[in-house]
Amino acid sequence: MSADTLPKLLLEKVRYYKKEVALREKQLGVWRPITWNEYYDHVETFGLGCRDLGLKPQEKVSILGDNCPEWLYADLATQSLRAVAVGVYPTNTTEQVKYILEHSGSKYVVVKDQEQLDKVLEVNAELPLLERIIVIDMKGVRKYTYPLIISYEEVEEVGRRIRQKDPDLFTGIIAETEASDIAIIVYTSGTTGPPKGAMLSHRNITAVQHGFLQVLPITREDSLVSALPLCHVAERMFSLFLPMKVGCTINFAESVATMQADMIEISPSIFLTVPRMLEKMHSTITIKIQNANPIKRCAYNLCMPIGGKVADIRLSGGKVGLLYHTLFMIAYFLVFRPLRNRIGLLQVRECVSGAAPLSKDIMRFFRSLGIRIKEAYGCTESTGVISMPEGEGLKLGSVGKPVPGIEFRLEDDGEILIKGGLVFEGYHNDPEGSNRVLKDGWLYTGDVGKLDEDGDLFIVDRKKEIIINAAGKNIAPSEIENRLKFSTFINEAIVIGEGRKYLTALIQVDYENVANWAQKEDIPFTNYKSLVGNSKVRRLIDREITEANKNLARVETIKKFALLDKELDQDDGEVTATMKVKRQIIEKKYGNIIEPMY
Amino acid sequence: MASPDFFEIRDLHMRFAGVQALQGVSISVAKNELLAVIGPNGAGKTTIFNIINGVYHPYKGKILLEGKDITCLKPYKIARAGIARVFQNIELFKNMTVIDNLLLGRHQFLKSSFLSGSFFLGKCLREEMDNRRKVEEVIEFLEIEEVRKQLVKSLPFGLQKRVELGRALCMDPSILLLDEPVAGMNLEEKEDIARFILDIKEEMETTIIMIEHDMEVVMDIADRICVIDFGVKIVEGSPEVVQNHPKVIEAYLGLED
Repeated sequence: MSADTLPKLLLEKVRYYKKEVALREKQLGVWRPITWNEYYDHVETFGLGCRDLGLKPQEKVSILGDNCPEWLYADLATQSLRAVAVGVYPTNTTEQVKYILEHSGSKYVVVKDQEQLDKVLEVNAELPLLERIIVIDMKGVRKYTYPLIISYEEVEEVGRRIRQKDPDLFTGIIAETEASDIAIIVYTSGTTGPPKGAMLSHRNITAVQHGFLQVLPITREDSLVSALPLCHVAERMFSLFLPMKVGCTINFAESVATMQADMIEISPSIFLTVPRMLEKMHSTITIKIQNANPIKRCAYNLCMPIGGKVADIRLSGGKVGLLYHTLFMIAYFLVFRPLRNRIGLLQVRECVSGAAPLSKDIMRFFRSLGIRIKEAYGCTESTGVISMPEGEGLKLGSVGKPVPGIEFRLEDDGEILIKGGLVFEGYHNDPEGSNRVLKDGWLYTGDVGKLDEDGDLFIVDRKKEIIINAAGKNIAPSEIENRLKFSTFINEAIVIGEGRKYLTALIQVDYENVANWAQKEDIPFTNYKSLVGNSKVRRLIDREITEANKNLARVETIKKFALLDKELDQDDGEVTATMKVKRQIIEKKYGNIIEPMY
Repeated sequence: MASPDFFEIRDLHMRFAGVQALQGVSISVAKNELLAVIGPNGAGKTTIFNIINGVYHPYKGKILLEGKDITCLKPYKIARAGIARVFQNIELFKNMTVIDNLLLGRHQFLKSSFLSGSFFLGKCLREEMDNRRKVEEVIEFLEIEEVRKQLVKSLPFGLQKRVELGRALCMDPSILLLDEPVAGMNLEEKEDIARFILDIKEEMETTIIMIEHDMEVVMDIADRICVIDFGVKIVEGSPEVVQNHPKVIEAYLGLED
């Protein structure tokens, strides 16, 4: 029997690794290891428990909450029963949660805690298909009297009793899983409309494991931190698909708030991240250095140019000479090593950034510290990955070559098309939507790319987001926005210019950093709104934009800008759960401040 | 609910010089009940807490915990009997970390001798670990993992309040006295603390007596409310009863001429 589904792979890993560590979870301030045996034990008992409750193949189980081992147990248990696991963002509002539970037709929902439970209870009356709410952390909900609620522990208890009677039952159930089964539904973040549920089968997952690991080998010795939401396909890949294949260790932080501190303790060897997190790290470092004592500041200012120079040589494919090699070693031990330790990236071997385009400046900054960030490209519909740079070779701004096992071509208008095992099975309950992106087995990604002479792929932008200005010139806004966001004072930038004579931008300042700056400059403010209303803050952002404009072609420069007087928020429908900007909504909503700029 | 007189205040009288602070107040609290004591400023609410804690000695009246008289015991003995208190103004050690402040709440459980403590011998080490585990449980409960190693003085007010609540919880109290737990907080902090108070009652089965001015919080979370004015209990009952009672309205808003 070859292991062609995740549950079968789990069984295989348990046979090999038994008492070795599979997961680690920080509890009561101490890292608690979970062995492969225990891992399987939980999946088995929860799975048997769900089966006893009445979960049948193809039925849907939603999982709603922050990352934790139970999230993975529930995920794998569901798949073992040939049912389908659906992840929901813990930051989703009640309405958004309801949409996904309703659209997926979930029979059960596994919730992490009271906060998430309350969301479900609020809309539960409108969800006739929902039969059970399984609660992981019962703190504060023990006295709830809703008949739907059952604790995670109770389900496992039921499972344990069944296992006692029939110890081999679950292995038999797993053996029945098939590669063609839909394993999970991943809801896209939905920048242009309501989220769509991409159905991913075990066949897709196997293809992505295979393709990914050929380009970026991961071994059992590697250790990862589960930092992004598990319902996103990229984190699912790193926390579930890859460990099931190679047996690496996944670590769960104590809470979202302690992530940074926990990262330092774990010091992962593989790090999956998104540009937003890297931008945050960069601005934290910059601000901390500004507030550090003069000796540290001086050392940093001396060493950064050395790192920058070495980064430039390496990124342009050159060889670093002896002099710079030596200087870099000194700078490394003096500054870069302690700095990397402080952000938890001391031992990182491979750092993969995905989900959104990464600015070149950020990439260069981290390369200066000796951290090589690989920018991967993929989408939910391709089970997470399409292309990724291989080995040492890394071109600034390129996402490398398509991973092995996929056919790849560019349409005449530059749209990226792929074909292969990792192309998803279609959208759940949306054949029309599926037909729009799947034609003759080709997946139309909706992204525009170009290839250079070596066959390396460069992503231009989302097809729908490319701006055509009044002169008919095509402009990709995301690169310009990334240039702007490199400033520590700018958190979000939205470039506007469709059908206009020149480009303008809506800017959301970084509240923390600008507030810090304002305090030093003795600028009085009470809140976000009063801060951005200050003329000195406006001048500060003006300077930052002028700086960014220097590196842009004339047609791409930002001529005017407006400061948003509130932070964009998921609850207001302005950004997705992954903090992607919903461009059309924002352009409509802020029309009153966009129009005066033209 | 279990025995109705789990904790009882019987006919309490207290005088400061010529001022009659309390004039025969009797309150009984059932196990695992959340009783709110409200009343205008100077009504004598904090005086009751101070008498329960053994800081003041009443000239008449008794405090009974599970039928045992604990009136006029030394404060530390009352603490050992299982009565913990969160003060109105933050009374933490500002230059110590959150963990150290919480460990202080475990002080009364230290049993190892000076000698074994000096050499950190087996029993002492175990004791230290047990206490630390309890502290970590409280940290998890109050969701302050993020700040566990920070100095208390560096924390915002709302978090300091939470740490103080944590220190009281570390004492494994059977009765928790809260003196204005949400005073000076913003809406979000208030909601957090209110949720924690309910969780404490539910998860730890603690009996809670709370003095509070914020009527919204009181009406929301209290099982029963006791209104005190000029050292006399004027009304006692469920939030609905108290809310509409003419005497309460009179005490708070004054009498119409």
